[in-house]
Amino acid sequence: MALYEGIALIQEKQAVVLDLGTDYTKFGFTGEAAPRCIVRSEFWCPAERRYKRLHDYSSPQELYDNIVHMLHLLYFRHVLVNPKERRVVVVESLLTPTLFRETLAKVLFIHYEVSGALWVDSGRASALTLAAPVVLVVSIGARDAEVTAVVHGCPVLRALQSQPLGARAVSAELARLLDEDNGRALNLPDDVLDDIKVRACFVPGREAALQWAARGVPAEVREARRGADAVVSRRARALSAEPLFARDEELASLPDMVLQCIAQCPIDARRALAASVLVTGGGAALPGLRARLAQELRHLAKLPPYKERLQELQFKFHSAPAHENSVAWVGGALCGAACGTGAGPGSGSGAGGGAGAEGRGVSREAYVRTRRLRDWPCLLHNTPHKHPHWDML
Amino acid sequence: MAYLTQPDYVKYACSCGQIKPITSLYFCRHCLQIRCGFCICHEVDSHYCANCLENMPSSEARLKKNRCSSCFDCPSCFHTLSTRATLAQPRQTPEQGSGDSKVENKQAKKMYYLSCFNCRWTSRDVGIPDQPVASGGWPERVNPNATRINQLLDYYKAIAQQEKQEKLDRERKKFAIRGKYITLTDKTGLTGAMARNIAGLPSSESTMSAIANFVPSEASADVEELSEDFYTKELNLNQMTSMPQRLAAPEWQPSSVSRLYPIAKLLSVKRSQRCRACDHNLTKPEYNPGSIKFKIELLAFYHVPEVKIISYEPIKPGCTSALLLKLTNPTGHEMQVRLLQPEEVPDTEDRLEEPKSLEKSLEKSLNLEKDNLWYETVQRKADVTATCRVVTPDVTLTLAQRDDAAEYDDDATHDANDIILWRKSNKLALRLQVSCGAEVGAASAAEAALALQYRYRNTVPAAHEPRDHTLHATLLLQLGHVSG
Ligand SMILES: [Zn+2]
Ligand SMILES: [Zn+2]
Ligand SMILES: [Zn+2]
Ligand SMILES: [Zn+2]
Repeated sequence: MALYEGIALIQEKQAVVLDLGTDYTKFGFTGEAAPRCIVRSEFWCPAERRYKRLHDYSSPQELYDNIVHMLHLLYFRHVLVNPKERRVVVVESLLTPTLFRETLAKVLFIHYEVSGALWVDSGRASALTLAAPVVLVVSIGARDAEVTAVVHGCPVLRALQSQPLGARAVSAELARLLDEDNGRALNLPDDVLDDIKVRACFVPGREAALQWAARGVPAEVREARRGADAVVSRRARALSAEPLFARDEELASLPDMVLQCIAQCPIDARRALAASVLVTGGGAALPGLRARLAQELRHLAKLPPYKERLQELQFKFHSAPAHENSVAWVGGALCGAACGTGAGPGSGSGAGGGAGAEGRGVSREAYVRTRRLRDWPCLLHNTPHKHPHWDML
Repeated sequence: MAYLTQPDYVKYACSCGQIKPITSLYFCRHCLQIRCGFCICHEVDSHYCANCLENMPSSEARLKKNRCSSCFDCPSCFHTLSTRATLAQPRQTPEQGSGDSKVENKQAKKMYYLSCFNCRWTSRDVGIPDQPVASGGWPERVNPNATRINQLLDYYKAIAQQEKQEKLDRERKKFAIRGKYITLTDKTGLTGAMARNIAGLPSSESTMSAIANFVPSEASADVEELSEDFYTKELNLNQMTSMPQRLAAPEWQPSSVSRLYPIAKLLSVKRSQRCRACDHNLTKPEYNPGSIKFKIELLAFYHVPEVKIISYEPIKPGCTSALLLKLTNPTGHEMQVRLLQPEEVPDTEDRLEEPKSLEKSLEKSLNLEKDNLWYETVQRKADVTATCRVVTPDVTLTLAQRDDAAEYDDDATHDANDIILWRKSNKLALRLQVSCGAEVGAASAAEAALALQYRYRNTVPAAHEPRDHTLHATLLLQLGHVSG
């Protein structure tokens, strides 16, 4: 057995796992417990002599170039392997724009000549790190917060929630509070805001937050920050994450999203979902955020419009065996390793459902032949294989 | 010419449509085309540590996760850490050592720790014990999640295995003629187990036990509340790590400075580069990490005539201005150069006019499928639309071959005419006119496009007679801004 595995290791190059986030990119090998690198999703552009963000593009061609440069950086500066003839697991949001997916596929297959690629959605990947049958994944990314119900390895698409309540919303509020504190527009760059957030900010409990928002923060302790030359007050530290919990007429706060997702799921899955919440994403790393979300959920479930349907729910929370910002990546790494060599298993629907997401994998030959990726919003990929539509391609 | 700190004033169009300075371009002698980093294939050649310049075989590099075993980076400022030696006094009471010889025996032992000369961080700051050896031996840390991840891996692999088995069983059932004879092997499943044994796959029992013993993650109603310290204690920013410090160690991501740990230095790679169209190497570095030389180095800088701007008159709308250019022939052969307008350059297909040998064309047709895939998907037409036109005189200029000895000759020959300003060894200065359209707005960037047609003597393959080819290069000159 050992011998066989040894041979397999030599023959099959270890696949890489790629998670191109809005702000941070995670990249590493399948089967490992953490990505090899977590870097900002940007690269040095010699023509423009500045750092360019991967997701800043105005044309498909520019996006193609951006991805080529970003992957070059990842393969040859961080992970140090040849992309050619090596498989890739791509971890992506279910709401990734079609243009981005297809351009990424083009770059991987045509430019870097990878031998195969497997697309895993981040909700399902995050659920894989728990191996629990039913998981409600609350992912707080850089731009959007997404709530996905994963039931037996299958994301419930119609209950998918997404709102622009990611780390950027927190950054924007922090910048606003800091401007107020300092009495001038600071115009701090993103990385400085990130730094303040990660070093100083926290999410107070529900009661404290309400109190502080109404009566101001007690003991206004001021901290000067080196470099940025800005005063960071305790008020800014404590209240910058409030936009995530601010309720309005739209019911678009983070706890509302969670409750709505549960409410839109099949009735027999609701209890299990509420008892199996996983909070992930880089934005979830703020101290106290999970506790606050739990308090808000328990509070809101007793209020209309959720009272009738969700009052009885018991909320329970998982902790994933990874840092918040790389949970989805670790799921991708597990998925890539489990699919293993060659054929790989069919889509499992048991407790470990979704580990073998064979259906979404594409080999280079298949891509070159059809130039087509499976995509859930595409009608074609929702029709049976014997349907005449397939012959009309 | 490219500059380190200034914009690139002269840029060339690559065969793939990218526009880059000549120093970032390659020249494939087999395709006779300009190539660039975008349209060639990069390959990892060798791994090495940029600090100790030690080569590491790829297999070892993979085992060590691409990290050097003797060099470390500062976890605080990412500068390279230095090993410092101290003398540790062995624990003994002074009364014990009475004789001189005994003192010598108990001589102070050298102990080593890591220290950053840039920010003064030391491995002692975080309580890492000093080491008795200068290099290596630093305690390795294990990712706290590794055990759980391995359990999950075993579990998922077992499930995948089981599914595969079930699928096989289903297939077999489908084709087996049922009922007539139930053989012993079928009944006990002996063949399946044996087949798996022979194939070296884990037996179904171990698969079953891996699945049965696995415990899925348990959710808990208790969520860790925010510690009281956040409400009451003052924050000490110096104790908190910054974002780059956390991300430098993706496995641990320490949030407190006291958990920082030396980072084993990431290796670097030497890359070789290959032409996508013909699979020939364009560059191949020497194996020795200390060497910056190449075994193969097909840079455009050595093959394509180089153009530099000497000076130009300010560009005014609707006027012509003088433009002084310097042409250099980098090759060891005399070169004829003509200046053309970019639109006069023939398309790529009919550029290679030389007769092809049979095997060459056969090779070409075999490669055809592969080339086309990349080129048809990615190739673009170089965008050389420019605000200004260089008035191209209809003359053929002859550039002498490069002669390193002639570098020491000082006197430039002045066989000057209207166009040629001076001539010196393999260099030629030209006086040209640039005309700017009247409709061009003031302060817009003044760019002029120009094409070169040059005779290039190809010396590969060496066995054949060297052949001359007529090649083209399109370039874009930055002439400052249009003045009002
Ligand atoms: Zn190119
Ligand atoms: Zn080293
Ligand atoms: Zn340092
Ligand atoms: Zn070539």
